[in-house]
Amino acid sequence: MSTPTNLTRAISVIAHIDHGKTTLSDRLLEYTGTVAPRDMVEQVLDQLELERERGITIKAQAVRMLYKADDGQTYQINLIDTPGHVDFSYEVSRALAACDGAILVVDASQGIEAQTLANVHQALEHHLKIVPVVNKIDLPQANPELVREEIEKVIGLPADSVIFASARQGIGTKEILEAVVREVPPPTGDPTAPLRALIFDAKFDPYRGVVTYVRVLDGTLRKGLRAQMMQTGKAFEVDEVGIFRPERTPVEDLSAGEVGYLIANIRNVRDSRVGDTVTDAARPASAPLPGYRHVTPMVFAGLFPTDSDQYQQLKEALEKLQLNDAALVYEPETSAALGFGFRCGFLGLLHMEIVQERLEREFNLTLLGTAPTVEYRVKLRDGTETPVDNPDHLPNPADIESISEPMVLATIVVPSIYVGNMMQLSQERRGQYLNTVYEPGDRVVLTYRMPLAEIIHDYYDQLKSRSKGYASLDYELVGFEEANLVKLDVLVAGSPIDALSMIVERSKAQQQGRRLAEKLKTLIPRQLFEVPIQAAIGGKIVARETVPAMRKDVTAKCYGGDVTRKRKLLEKQKEGKKRLKRVGNVEIPQEAFMAVLSLD
Amino acid sequence: MERIHSLYLHVPFCTWVCKYCDFNAYAVLEGLIPAYVEALAREIEKAADDFPLGPLDTVFIGGGTPSLLTTAQLRRLMDRVRLIGLTPSAEITLEANPSNVTSEQVAGWLEAGVNRISIGVQSLQPDALRFLERLHSGTDAIAAIRTARAGGFSNINADLLYGLPGVDLARWLESLEAVLAEGVHHLSAYELTVESGTRLGQEVRTGLLHMPGDDEQLAEYWAAAERLQISGYEHYEISNWATPGFACRHNLAAWHYQPYLGCGAGAHSMFRIPNGSTERRWNIRGPHAYIRRIGESGQAVDGSEHLSPARARGEAAMIGVRLLEGTEAASDFPTKSRQLVAAGLLIEADGRVRLTQRGIELANQVGAMFLA
Repeated sequence: MSTPTNLTRAISVIAHIDHGKTTLSDRLLEYTGTVAPRDMVEQVLDQLELERERGITIKAQAVRMLYKADDGQTYQINLIDTPGHVDFSYEVSRALAACDGAILVVDASQGIEAQTLANVHQALEHHLKIVPVVNKIDLPQANPELVREEIEKVIGLPADSVIFASARQGIGTKEILEAVVREVPPPTGDPTAPLRALIFDAKFDPYRGVVTYVRVLDGTLRKGLRAQMMQTGKAFEVDEVGIFRPERTPVEDLSAGEVGYLIANIRNVRDSRVGDTVTDAARPASAPLPGYRHVTPMVFAGLFPTDSDQYQQLKEALEKLQLNDAALVYEPETSAALGFGFRCGFLGLLHMEIVQERLEREFNLTLLGTAPTVEYRVKLRDGTETPVDNPDHLPNPADIESISEPMVLATIVVPSIYVGNMMQLSQERRGQYLNTVYEPGDRVVLTYRMPLAEIIHDYYDQLKSRSKGYASLDYELVGFEEANLVKLDVLVAGSPIDALSMIVERSKAQQQGRRLAEKLKTLIPRQLFEVPIQAAIGGKIVARETVPAMRKDVTAKCYGGDVTRKRKLLEKQKEGKKRLKRVGNVEIPQEAFMAVLSLD
Repeated sequence: MERIHSLYLHVPFCTWVCKYCDFNAYAVLEGLIPAYVEALAREIEKAADDFPLGPLDTVFIGGGTPSLLTTAQLRRLMDRVRLIGLTPSAEITLEANPSNVTSEQVAGWLEAGVNRISIGVQSLQPDALRFLERLHSGTDAIAAIRTARAGGFSNINADLLYGLPGVDLARWLESLEAVLAEGVHHLSAYELTVESGTRLGQEVRTGLLHMPGDDEQLAEYWAAAERLQISGYEHYEISNWATPGFACRHNLAAWHYQPYLGCGAGAHSMFRIPNGSTERRWNIRGPHAYIRRIGESGQAVDGSEHLSPARARGEAAMIGVRLLEGTEAASDFPTKSRQLVAAGLLIEADGRVRLTQRGIELANQVGAMFLA
């Protein structure tokens, strides 16, 4: 069933997290009959169990809908649902590059937030036609009029183009679809030109290999063709092309403007990189589509099995997970304290959490994650430069010429009464103030240049708690900057614990050391003996705390009738200890390794 | 199955269930006692057929409050027990509440064959007894000891509780002193344990009541231990002291990992299988259900568990290490024993390990080490 190009649309839904993007997508699927209401699992597009549980989208999704519009024509609307978190902003940008228009969802009570703006800017960069929607108008605290005004003033979209909707109640769905077919332009690609298809996602299917999500921009993609990836240079014979309705449905071909998938016996998502261009090896396009970026991890952390027997299982699990997650990188790491594990690189903290959770849940592992850190660039006196993504690997201070750290441009959107709090927090976190913009609806946009390391250290939680949850944050990497940094070491029971080392700014090091020692004291459970905790900078102890020894643990009665119960009690006590990592003589819980993240 | 020489009989009735008690005990069910005694007698009779039982070296009638039984009821049970066979020096213990210890009762118990009495004194401090919801006074408790002794008992135990809120070290030692002055042969001193399912547990959980801290409780424990030693009592288990020859043989058997049969509502049994494994089973807890089940089939087993030889060895060590003379059962765990010795919790000598002072304070940590 082929649709004339002028009746084809490709759109995306963009929104700040929790503004109802996925629910709105569900209503569109229902309304167009793509999914029968009785088959509707809440949030059809969020397929990962974890996504459903957390109510967030991690992977992009695509689905083709057919919509009979008021003008009597049947349109093919390709809907691409994008990930909704700053960790995945590159994936969002590629998904947007595959679209011609975007439905912008803004919560009727929250209004415009940091990622709303970031997404709008991205959409405009891709020259997408924006259909603005104010969602959740049924909520008692909704103020759709005010949000409509905000959209006009802040984003510059005419107020009369704004559609009021409640995705939960299905209000406004038809109006949105009509606006899409009316406002969003049809694709402009050339069906006779050499093939160029943009990869905007890829997924690993254990039976079929990699399923590559593409939008064909020029030419035609068909089965049997030899697909060449223009960035990696690799070529694969196409076994199947198809569309999502929303389940995979094979079709003869995908022509210019259409969205779908290809399967070509690709065994690893690394060979099907988001942003890469697929062309026909027999008749290659002269140039790839613009905008490809090799995704590099932003934060790094060690993952160790609490039971060292699980090392091999962890290795296999990471291999499997990586098949589906091109952004995940890892390499073996050995810690004197934690044994054998892996140093992993992630896009951000959420990505890290998701990976650890999936490893534990889907592969039945018990893991200990060390505190995330950024990648520093260390210039040595001998003129060489070395990247350091593990604080413990920081070279000897005597050999260091300088240390540079990654910097981000952070955008904070917040109601004006919290501006003071935000500024104070950002200054505490070594932020360099850049700009303030006052916007209607009592909203202020603050921009700061600050170290990424500060952001991953609890900045977001602090931002939320110091603004009663109103502040929102977006950031992008803008380069490296030299800083006066030192390594803070931690000794537990006299032994240095490499996994607890952190790199901190020199002027704050002593204070951080004190706070870390105090915090660890509360997190390390009492042991049979007294456990001293020390923080040291360059061999000099700057703080000391002591976990007192366990005082008493004895049951008064143990007679014939009590034995089973008592044994079970002790067995349970023992089971609980399995979550602790034994370092030398001391049992240390996971939380202790994360303590460095929240020292305020 | 190894031959069983110890028998426990459970009498789950009480006039009042004290607020700290989490035993299988029921108030306001005294009307059931006659039917219960018949059921218990029947269970003993059937067990004698089903298990390699006797001759019995120890019999322990516990509760609840077994002293609520009439002399005739007790005799009915003991007649049944005697059919199994008793060793000439068998130890036959009855737990008694001070309120029930009259000279008539004492005479009846002795006549039924009981030769050891365990009296639940708990405390002599009036406010503590009120707090614990005991229905007797301190004077009643002292009188009970005297009545038992005058009536002819020559093996008397007193149970005391320490670590009571509002009772300081001096007053605790006062109670202990007064009980020792009565010349009891055996003394059990238990730390008041807050069990979650009890009213005491609820008061602590909701913050209505604060229990003394670890340091206070341990101070009371060690002060008592010192006092008892001065009077010639041997500290033979974490909470138990006895004058020479008066250690409770029934409990020693369990601590030495000997099998026992338990009859009555909620009673536990432990059997040893020749391959080294252990079988534990327990009866249904409710007296009504117990009586019905016995009526139907002569037994009232509600659950059981089987421990492999390896787990059984761990359990034997966990229990055995509570004896202050130490245990040989830990010899199966040389590495763990060595770690515990290094940590200062155990002393190793003559092929056995025993708890140090610190080991007693952390006995659960030691016990847990021996479990798989």
